[in-house]
Order: sequence, then structure tokens, then C-alpha cells
Amino acid sequence: MTEPKHYFAPTSLDQAVECLKDGDVTILAGGTDLTPQSQSGKLRIKQTLMNIRRVPELTGITLEGDEIRIGALTTITEIMENALVKQHFPVLVEACDHFASDQIRNVATLGGNICNASPAGDTLIPLLVLDASVELASMPEATLYRHSMPLSTFFVGPGKTRRSLCELVTGVRIRVPGPNHIAHFHKLGTRPALDISTISIGIAGTLKEGILSNVRVAFGAVAPTPVRASQTEKALEGQRLDAVTIGKVAGIARDEVKPIDDVRATAWYRKEMIHNITKRMLSHVAQA
Amino acid sequence: MSVAEKKPRVIEPDSLIGKRIPKMDAPEKASGRTRYIHDINLSGQLYGRILRSARIHALIKSIDTSAARALPGVHVVITAADIPDQRPIGVARDHFPLKVGRVRSQRDEIAAVAAESEEIAEAALKLIRVVYEDLPVISDPEEAIKPGAALIHPEPHGADGTHLHLKQGTSIAHKGKPDNIAMTFDYVHGDVIQGEAESDVVIEDTFRLHYVTHCCMGVSGMIAEFDASGNLLMYSNTQVPFLHKREFAEYLNMDPARIRIIQPPIGGGFGSKLDIYPFEVICLYLARAAKRPVKMLFTREEEFLASPTRQPVLLTLRSGCKKDGTLTFRQVHTLHDNGAYTSWGATTPFVMMQTFSSLYRVPHCDYHTAAVYTNNPYAGSFRGYGNLQATFAIEQHMDMLAERIGMDSLAFRLKNAQDSGETTGQGMVFKSCGFKDCINTAAQRSDYTRKFKENEVNRSRPGNIRRGIGMASMLHVGGGAKIYPSDGCGTILKMDDFANVTLITGASEIGQGSETVLSQLVCEELGLPISAITVVNNDTAITPWDVGVHASRTTFIAGNSAIGAAKKAKTKILAVAAKKYECAESDLDLRGGFVIKASSGEVVVELSKLLRNLHFQDKAELVMTTFYYEPPSVHQDKGFKGDVSAAYAWGAQVVEVEVDTDTGRVRMTKVTGAHDVGRVLNRLGIEGQIEGGVVMGQGYALTEELLIENGVMKNPNFRDYKLVTAPEIPEMDISFIESMDGEGPQGAKGVGEAPAICVAAATANAICNATGVRMFELPFTPEKVYRALHGQTPKLYWKPWRADQ
Repeated sequence: MTEPKHYFAPTSLDQAVECLKDGDVTILAGGTDLTPQSQSGKLRIKQTLMNIRRVPELTGITLEGDEIRIGALTTITEIMENALVKQHFPVLVEACDHFASDQIRNVATLGGNICNASPAGDTLIPLLVLDASVELASMPEATLYRHSMPLSTFFVGPGKTRRSLCELVTGVRIRVPGPNHIAHFHKLGTRPALDISTISIGIAGTLKEGILSNVRVAFGAVAPTPVRASQTEKALEGQRLDAVTIGKVAGIARDEVKPIDDVRATAWYRKEMIHNITKRMLSHVAQA
Repeated sequence: MSVAEKKPRVIEPDSLIGKRIPKMDAPEKASGRTRYIHDINLSGQLYGRILRSARIHALIKSIDTSAARALPGVHVVITAADIPDQRPIGVARDHFPLKVGRVRSQRDEIAAVAAESEEIAEAALKLIRVVYEDLPVISDPEEAIKPGAALIHPEPHGADGTHLHLKQGTSIAHKGKPDNIAMTFDYVHGDVIQGEAESDVVIEDTFRLHYVTHCCMGVSGMIAEFDASGNLLMYSNTQVPFLHKREFAEYLNMDPARIRIIQPPIGGGFGSKLDIYPFEVICLYLARAAKRPVKMLFTREEEFLASPTRQPVLLTLRSGCKKDGTLTFRQVHTLHDNGAYTSWGATTPFVMMQTFSSLYRVPHCDYHTAAVYTNNPYAGSFRGYGNLQATFAIEQHMDMLAERIGMDSLAFRLKNAQDSGETTGQGMVFKSCGFKDCINTAAQRSDYTRKFKENEVNRSRPGNIRRGIGMASMLHVGGGAKIYPSDGCGTILKMDDFANVTLITGASEIGQGSETVLSQLVCEELGLPISAITVVNNDTAITPWDVGVHASRTTFIAGNSAIGAAKKAKTKILAVAAKKYECAESDLDLRGGFVIKASSGEVVVELSKLLRNLHFQDKAELVMTTFYYEPPSVHQDKGFKGDVSAAYAWGAQVVEVEVDTDTGRVRMTKVTGAHDVGRVLNRLGIEGQIEGGVVMGQGYALTEELLIENGVMKNPNFRDYKLVTAPEIPEMDISFIESMDGEGPQGAKGVGEAPAICVAAATANAICNATGVRMFELPFTPEKVYRALHGQTPKLYWKPWRADQ
């Protein structure tokens, strides 16, 4: 494990983003990815290790207009137990229920899961199909600058995002869905718990009189980043979920993904699972 | 003067045998107070770390340790060049602790550092520069055994290329080998050609068994200290302190009498601590050079990389039977991937051939193994010792043969199952044998026959979930195994003035619960509560000799030894009491802490009072006894025949699964087991032993696999090496068949390994029952099962390695 030269624990957002100005900073939140990655040598801790856990602006789940904001420091357990999330985004709770183990969920944060940018990140798939956006803060001059971007454009590669070194992810924003909104998540692994996805699938949209619209489909662990599946979405948009459509869409999904072989599965199996699970999920939607 | 009539106190008979007795170490462990080796620190202690190879197979051209030596806080840096008296280690003496001139696997030890902190030691390792010259990597045993294959241990040649022809007697580490064959085993009884001629049905299949490792919760470690006189004290997690003491003495070229091994509480063994590994000898070198105590602990990654594995096996089995269901023959060829060096894994054929020759009546059996050197991790001993692998093949063939002759698979097993009193072709004598009871009990309690038929019918129904049920049986040594000159265990027993007992036993506790069972046996004999005993079992300077924790032997061997010592104590006590109270010894007994009248239970005298009287009289005496138990087993002859164990354990397990045909995921829903354990001693302990073994077997069957690619371990961590987690553990229904073994302590037999053996085989049969698809390769991960269900698995076939067969 590499050792940082400085340790800093800011107590306000201003202090935190000011510290990021010089760029050579490793950010610590829950530490559930940072610790094993730094110990295995996959990640080098920079000059300064900044513990952001005392920054109040990064916490809390609040309803702001027609959006819900989830602070970056919110733990997976807090998300699962939150009334607003349970009411509006049950799909996120479902994904969190498959996230690692109880112990890890108690400390791992949503912001950390996003910034770790694993292609198999468990919360990323539901966030993508919910059209979440990422809030970022920085201090280019003397004052705080905030902006946000759609999560679907945030990921660049495994562990790589469009966050610049002097920016801090402060939270995510998700619009409260309208009536007839449906959203589902499925994670496939070897074990029911404590597992990295072999593949994961999120499907969301508006289901009215058997017709699916505003379709969002996202796949995990089949590309260098979690991805939206545009061809699968197109094939589903405005369709009635009958057996023929479901079969056709599952085939398009399988052809759309370009996974790799790794220790968890081969590309062939991943494509098969994208097909079979997409089909299973759509059948469940149709039957519900 | 009138004396009030005082009713004599009567002690009712009671027994500790079969009761649910919590493990004696449980309160300490559950409350986090147990001091493992990790918690022990000696004053002046340094921290040792090992530099392992950056290559899989390479020549070491140079090692530069100068920068590491110069780092402040570093006391000692050693390489092979610094230890001129290195001796070859391992079962075949085929490697040096610090590698000389060549590395042959990812784990290979190149240099070691002792420093004032782990961080400094780690930093020093990074400063060591090694120049390698790569050699071709041989990771496939089928390639390694071919004539002309590149050699892992080539014979040394002089600078001019001429063969040095070192004289016989020097070890493989010195003189090399002309081929890659580490060991071979050939066994035969009967005549398989005749057996095949008599067969109505013959089948042949190849099975592939994979790499798994023990995953002990406590990582490996040791502390070594030489005192001012040069005596060595080791804090070690070994399972075999007495044999290892002798072996360490050989490696250090010192008198074994000057070595003392203390075993702190051990965080799991399962066979992994049955051999001496390079890190242990290196730790001794560091302590010797530094003249300070040196502590060495593995990281979890290191534990994966540098621990032994279960033996991977490629196995081709040919079996036959008659139409009436009589087994005719078995012919077995196995290719064992030995890895770069030889540890106990290479000797698993000792156990495997027993299963092939003697689980069921087989008139003709022919067994051959070659263990072949490769650049892969090397395999050691692991709970079951080859029996999981052998049983995986045999028990699938039992189902397949039954199907071919149209016989019910349960009836087929029962027709060929042995009874007590039989002697097998390999010379094993089944004095107590509850095999048929095991099969019948497991089948009845699981409703095997009805479910088996129903599941076959349900295969064609719609839906993606298929249910399956499968059975497997096993035979394993249950009364020790006579491998070494002695298979015995010694006991020293002393009683104090308060009738408390100290049991000093050679048998090591590695978490299996032996100290509790041994205490029960002693207290049962002496009529004392379990609270009256203290066990000392972890110091070679105090405890008498024992051959070690292996072969499911401790309850049986150490148990009989403890009973022997307790009986001698009891005889002495009763003789003293009989004399004092002027009656026959046979009129007296011990019960509840008293000497009583055997006929009525009436109290004669409090035992502690009697002991004090004995001690503080003119001819003062103490009650202290010793006993050494040697089981009545025999060594095998050169053809591997002989009654190697004093008793044999039997078992049958039925596994139920749900297979998701959309994903290939197999969910194990229930395991029904019936085990012939001789007799239940500690019901709580044996339940834990069986349940733990089943879960270990479940991991072997479904999730665990060390992925090795070209000699590189791809998943040395718990994220990608998947142990079974709590929600996956199936419902279990375990029955104990009490066959009351005549030689066993209170009738008991050893069962430490038994519960892990059947699970994978029974799971394979269950998956076939569910889907109609037979799986020949472990583990049954979702992808592997899905591929098989979709015809994407080419039929495995390995042509036996002997050209003449």
C-alpha cells in the first residue's frame, strides 16, 4: 500500500473542493473500493488523502421540486431504508439489495460506487434507466462552481469518468417518475450475495395499456462501462409486449452487446444471459 | 447417645456419551479472546517477508539485494546464496526453501527479509532486483507427460553441456529427473480382462477435477526464536508437531532434542498444515541469521498463492456390470497435476485406490496414477485426500450403469454394498459396517426413489426450473491409517488433590473439537463432570508423541489413548479405595466425583478426599498415568494391500437441487446424509463436523475454483474465489448410524473427512436427474452447466497415459 504525504478531513464543501485545486488528491468516502485497490497496487494513493466523510453538504436524501437529490455520501444501507427512495425508486432499492454484503453496504457510498465506475457497479444500472444526473462541484477561482451532467455520459472506461481531478461528485439527481412508470433490475452472478455481476440488466419505461414507451434499457458488465442499449430501447419503444416482440427484442439485445471473456464468464455466456434475462424480465413486465 | 439414621447418599448413573457438549474453546473464540499466532508478539521480534517469483518458469540470472540491505530498519536479507547449508524439502525432497538458480512456479521463494516492521520488510522486498531468463511454461499435465516435453527438474549438466550423472541417493533437488513424472502408483486385484469378459455392460468416461484450496480463516504464520544456547522455539500452526520437529531438525542440521514446537490455537487446518512449506524454513533461517525472534504472517493473497491446493485430477474410469446388477470390474487411470514440487497431493492415490477397490464389492480392479510435474501450484493434502475425486467418478458410474441395465440406482447400490465381516480385494477388513443402513436411511428420509422418478417425468414440463435428486456413498478410513512406522498417540494423565484431571495428549486441536471429545472420554471413565478437566495439547516439550492430525484419526486413536490412561488411573484409585474400605475393587466404581458402591450407587467416599488421603499419607502417592495406544492395523504391502485402518467409516448423502435452465444456476436445496460414525460421542460436535463438511463439499461442487492460466493464479482473493455464503447453505437432515465399532473409543469411528466426500458426486447425479445431462467436470458453475445444457461441452476424453493399457 502506498502512503499519502498529507491527510485532510474537510468539514465543508468549500474546504473540500479547495483542497482539490492542486489535483494530486485521492478522495476517501466509504473506502470499500479504495482500500482493496490500494493494497493490491491497482491504485496509487496520491500526495494527499482527503477524507470527505465530515462534509455535511454531501449527505441526505431530499425532495427538491420534482427531483430527488441523493447526497454522494449516502450509504447503500441508507438508500435501502429511505422512505422517498422506497416510494419513488423501488428499482434502486432492489439493486442495493444485491450489493455486496450487509457490512459493506453500511459503509459503501453511492458517490463512491459512481466514481469507481465499474462496468459491473450495482447502483449504476438502475440510475441509468432512471435518467439520473451527476452533480459536480469545483472551485476554479475563489468561489464554488456547481454543474451537472447526465449519468449516461459520465462513464468513459473501467474506473474512468468525466470528472476532472479538481471536481467532487456531490450527489445525484433523479426526476420523480410520472404515472405508469415501471422499472426492473436483475443481477446475475454465481452467488446470491457478495458477488460481482456476470451481467446485470435494468429496464424502465412507461407502461400504458400494454404499450411500453420512454424505454430505458441499461446493461452492466458487458462493455468497458455500464451502458445504455440504444438498439434494444428502439426495438421496444411503442411496442406491445407480446411473445414475438419479446423474443425479437431479446435477440437484438444479445446482438447489441460486445462483452469480453474474464474470470467470471465468457463473452458467449454473457450474450446468452443478456438474451435470456431480458426475455425473462420483459415477460414478467408483460404478465404484471 | 443416639445417632440419627442418616440415609446414604446415592449417585444415579449418568453418561456424557452422546450428549450435546459445547466445544471447550467456544467461549474464548466467540468472544474474540483467543490468542492466535497473529496475536502473539515476542519482545525484540522482527518481521519476515518473502520475495516471490515474478515469473512462472525462468532461470535466475542474478539477484541484487544491496539496496534492500541498506534500507534502515532491515536486519537481514537472505537468498539461496546466503544459506550454503540449505537442504531440499518436501515429500520428494525436490526443492529448496530459497530457490537455487531456477524458479518453477508463481509462488517460488527467491529472497527474504527480516526488518523492524512489516512495512519496512515490504519496502525492502521492492528494492531487490532479480534478472530472469524465461523458460517455456508447462501448465498442462497432458503436455508435461509426453516424451520429449521440456523438463521441470532437468538433470544438471556441466558448463560444457555434458550430463553430470550425480550419484544415486542425492535428492531430486540436486540430481533432477529425466522426465516429468513425480510419482506413479499401480494397484491390481483380480483380472480386469476377465472382469470385462464377464460384463454385460461396460462404460468408460473421463472426469476432470479442479483446483481448490483450503481457505483457512487464519492465514499461515509462524514465529521462530533461537535462545542463547542455540535451542529453537517455534510457534507454529502445524498439524503434525512431532514428525515436523524431526524434519525441521534435518533441514537445520541440528539435534531434534533442541527444537520445541508450541502450537497456538489454529485458525483452520483441513490438511493444509500437514507438510512443511518453504516459508517455515525461511523464517528459521531469518531468525538464525538475525539472532532475534522473527514472525512471519501471510497476507490473504499470499495465502492463496503459496498454500497447497486440493489435488487436480484427470481421470478415466472404465466400469462394468452384469444384467443382474453385479459389478464386474473397474479400471482407473489418473493423471495428477503435481505442480512444480511434490507435496502430499501426489500421494492421494493411497486413498483413491481404496475407494475404487473397496467401495462396493468389485471382484476385479486395476488402478494407475501418474503425478506429473508442471509449472502450476502444487497440491497438498486436503480433507478427503483424493476421495472426493474418486467418489465423483465412481458414484456417477453407479447411476450410469444402473440406468444402462434398467435397474433402480438404489437397488443397484444395495446389491453391491458390503456387510460387516467382509474382506475386500485390497485386504481391508470391515469389522463394523453400517453401509447398507446409511444408504437405506438417506434414501428413505429424502424420499429418494419417488422423487427420482417424478423428476425424470417433470423434465419435459414447461418452465425454467428443473428439480433433481442424486445420491452418492463413501468409504473412508475411520480408525487411523498406518502410513508411518507408528500410528499411535500418547497420553499423560494426572489428578490433583481436588480430583481435577489434567489430560496431556499428543493430539493437536485444529478446531475439530478433539479436546472436548477427549475430555468427555476421560471424564466418562473417571465419573467426573466435564468441568473437572484441563487439556494440555500444544507443546512438544510437554505432550507425548502423536503422529499428527490427519486421516480422521484423532477421536479414534487419541481417544483410545486417553481412555487407556484414564482406565489405569481408575484401576489405581479403586485399588486404593478397596484396600481402605476393605472390599473388592469390583464392588466399587467412580461416579459424579465419588467412589461409589457399584451395585447401589451409594457413596463410599468423595474422590478428592481419597486422593488427598493417598497423597498426604506416609507412603505418599499421586495418581498419574501414561498410556500409548497403537491401533491393531497393519502396513500395506508393496502391492498396497493390507488392513490399513482399525475401522472404516461409511456414509451416503442425497443432494437435491434446482437447476435454472435459463442461466445454468444450480441451487442446492437439501442434503440428507446418513453416516456410520460408530457411535456419537459429542452430538453437538459431530453435527457441526458433518454440516461444515457438507458446506465444504458444496463449495467444491458449485462455486470454488482456483483459476490457473499458464501457471498464473487469476483469482487469489475472496472476491473471485467464491466460497459458499450463508444464504446458499442447504437444509440438512443428518442421521447417525451407530454401528458400535468394537475397537473404537466407546464404539466411535473417525468422521472428520467423511462429510465432504459425497457432495459433488451426488450433485452431479442430481443435475442429471433434473436435466438428463451428465456433467463430467467440476465445478458446476452457472456457465459450465448452461453450456452442458446447450450441448456446448465437448465430450471429455483422456487417453490413459500407459501405452500398454
